[in-house]
Amino acid sequence: MKTILRAENLYKTYRVGSVDVHALRDVSLEVEEGEFVAIMGPSGCGKSTLLHLLGGLLQPTSGRITVDEEDLSAASDAARTDIRRRKIGFVFQRFNLFPTLTAEGNLRLAEQIQSKNNTDDATRRTEVLKLLRLEDKMKHKPMELSGGEQQRVAVARAIITNPALILADEPTGNLDSENSAIVLNMLQELNYRFNQTIVMITHNPEAAAMCRRIVYMRDGQITTPAVSVQISG
Amino acid sequence: MLHLVAANIRQRPLRMLISVLGVALGVNLVMLFTGLASGMAKDLERRSSNVRAEILFTRPGSMQLTSSTASLDVRYVERLKAIDGVADATPVILYVTQGSAGFGFERLEGIEWKSFAAMNRMSITEGRAPSAANEVIVDATKQRNDNLQINQEIKLFGDKSYRVVGVYQPESGARIKMTLAAMQDALEAAGKSTYILVKARDGVTAEELAQRLEAELPGNKIQLTRDISTNFERSVPFLGTFLRVLVALSAIVSTLVIMLAMYTTITERTREIGTLKALGASRGFIIWTIEQEALLISVIGLVIGFITAFVAGAAIERFSGLIFEYSWRWALVAVAIGLFGGALGALYPATRAANLDAVEALAYE
Ligand SMILES: Nc1ncnc2c1ncn2[C@@H]1O[C@H](COP(=O)(O)OP(=O)(O)OP(=O)(O)O)[C@@H](O)[C@H]1O
Ligand SMILES: [Mg+2]
Repeated sequence: MKTILRAENLYKTYRVGSVDVHALRDVSLEVEEGEFVAIMGPSGCGKSTLLHLLGGLLQPTSGRITVDEEDLSAASDAARTDIRRRKIGFVFQRFNLFPTLTAEGNLRLAEQIQSKNNTDDATRRTEVLKLLRLEDKMKHKPMELSGGEQQRVAVARAIITNPALILADEPTGNLDSENSAIVLNMLQELNYRFNQTIVMITHNPEAAAMCRRIVYMRDGQITTPAVSVQISG
Repeated sequence: MLHLVAANIRQRPLRMLISVLGVALGVNLVMLFTGLASGMAKDLERRSSNVRAEILFTRPGSMQLTSSTASLDVRYVERLKAIDGVADATPVILYVTQGSAGFGFERLEGIEWKSFAAMNRMSITEGRAPSAANEVIVDATKQRNDNLQINQEIKLFGDKSYRVVGVYQPESGARIKMTLAAMQDALEAAGKSTYILVKARDGVTAEELAQRLEAELPGNKIQLTRDISTNFERSVPFLGTFLRVLVALSAIVSTLVIMLAMYTTITERTREIGTLKALGASRGFIIWTIEQEALLISVIGLVIGFITAFVAGAAIERFSGLIFEYSWRWALVAVAIGLFGGALGALYPATRAANLDAVEALAYE
């Protein structure tokens, strides 16, 4: 099986005034293609920091990250942005849709940023929209959609460009249990149907239970073994 | 054009309108002032091109656009006529006064009709030539603009009454003319004139004649009539400087207005910029997105600016008799100011946006 994500001995230290905050201390993680990994842990343990590093939004203080065979940690800011554009889709707790654009416009913007290749997959696009049950919501602006619908649009935006890896930071954190279940089911289905690799931060044990693997963190460290242990789904 | 750009602009119509008006104001300033300057110059040029005399003989400093004095002794006429190569000479008093509309200048001339008309091939189309001290003639434009009738009374020099006794053509110099004697009387300048028009004999060029006059009567100002209109910009002190300051000013206004608008825009959309970065948008993509928004505003501002400038110019022309003539050169300058100001104004906010830290931008409330 192909390794999509490899993080080795990551350290991340924030400097606040004269104090060093060690957000991550020697974190190593491997994710294989088609895995759906949950990251859990108490608030402030470094989950978001890790996810930002994996997505190239932050530079590690030390350590190495490769995404789909491309080295993120050695890349310049512009090169990291380019790797992110080609390989990674983000899903956020607060959806982060563009309020002035319709659902379709939001998807189109992602495709415009992507611009190259990948966008010719029309069947994938229709299948994705059908899967997320968004076909009749395409002309709506975010304000005219429920939280669950907005997050589904955000998920569609993340996968429309066919990324190697989806990184989701508490995607159900702003949703009620019913909408959480819908969004989680859809992520799970994307994982099954398209073999989509997903790394998701969650506080919700039920959400984590839907994943193939759970990684626990505490105080900037991973407390479960870094090697993949399959939990039967 | 990226649909995000259009959507963003539509989202804040008032801000967009204010920025558009800022750019439009710049265009208005440039087009109206340069249009007025060249319109008035062209008008003077057209009228002075009907003067057939080659030489305008005067005292140094006695003629300016905004003022003139009658300090040249009319006895120079005889001395000029005596010079070889001179066919004829006729004295003129030019009087410049504040325009009746409150702005612009009104010009009056005192002439000896017979010799002036003969030299410049002018004729009376209606009524008769002036003779008494309270009689004037006007050209057809003046008659039409002010709706003047023969024998109608008009006020000149503030409150002196004059009677329109005739209409002359073609247009030449001042639109209102009276006899030299009447003008000398009004200005209490007996025996004086502002300048003397000198006509060359056939076969004598203007330059040759100018040289001869210079030799015979040194110390006076000898101007070729064909140069007068091109001297317009030079004859209004600082007009060129004024126009340049104006252009700079409107460039600054356009730039600042757009900079301000774009700055508030990116502050407002910090989280969206973070999202763009998370989606993998490059610095160039972000800068170009914001630049496009600024340029769209500029283009709309330019269109509105040109329309309002032309409408305002036409209205002013109608109600004041001032003449506007727009040139492609200045229109291009206005376009350049709008586009360049927009692009430049947006550059700082755009680079700032592109340099935002992605994680911090995403966390922005
Ligand atoms: N920009 C920053 N500057 C300084 N310290 C930071 C910064 N970002 C995060 N931290 C610190 O790093 C540690 C890890 O933060 P992080 O956001 O990764 O936690 P988290 O596990 O995502 O928490 P939560 O579950 O509350 O989202 C925390 O102690 C936090 O205060
Ligand atoms: Mg977090």
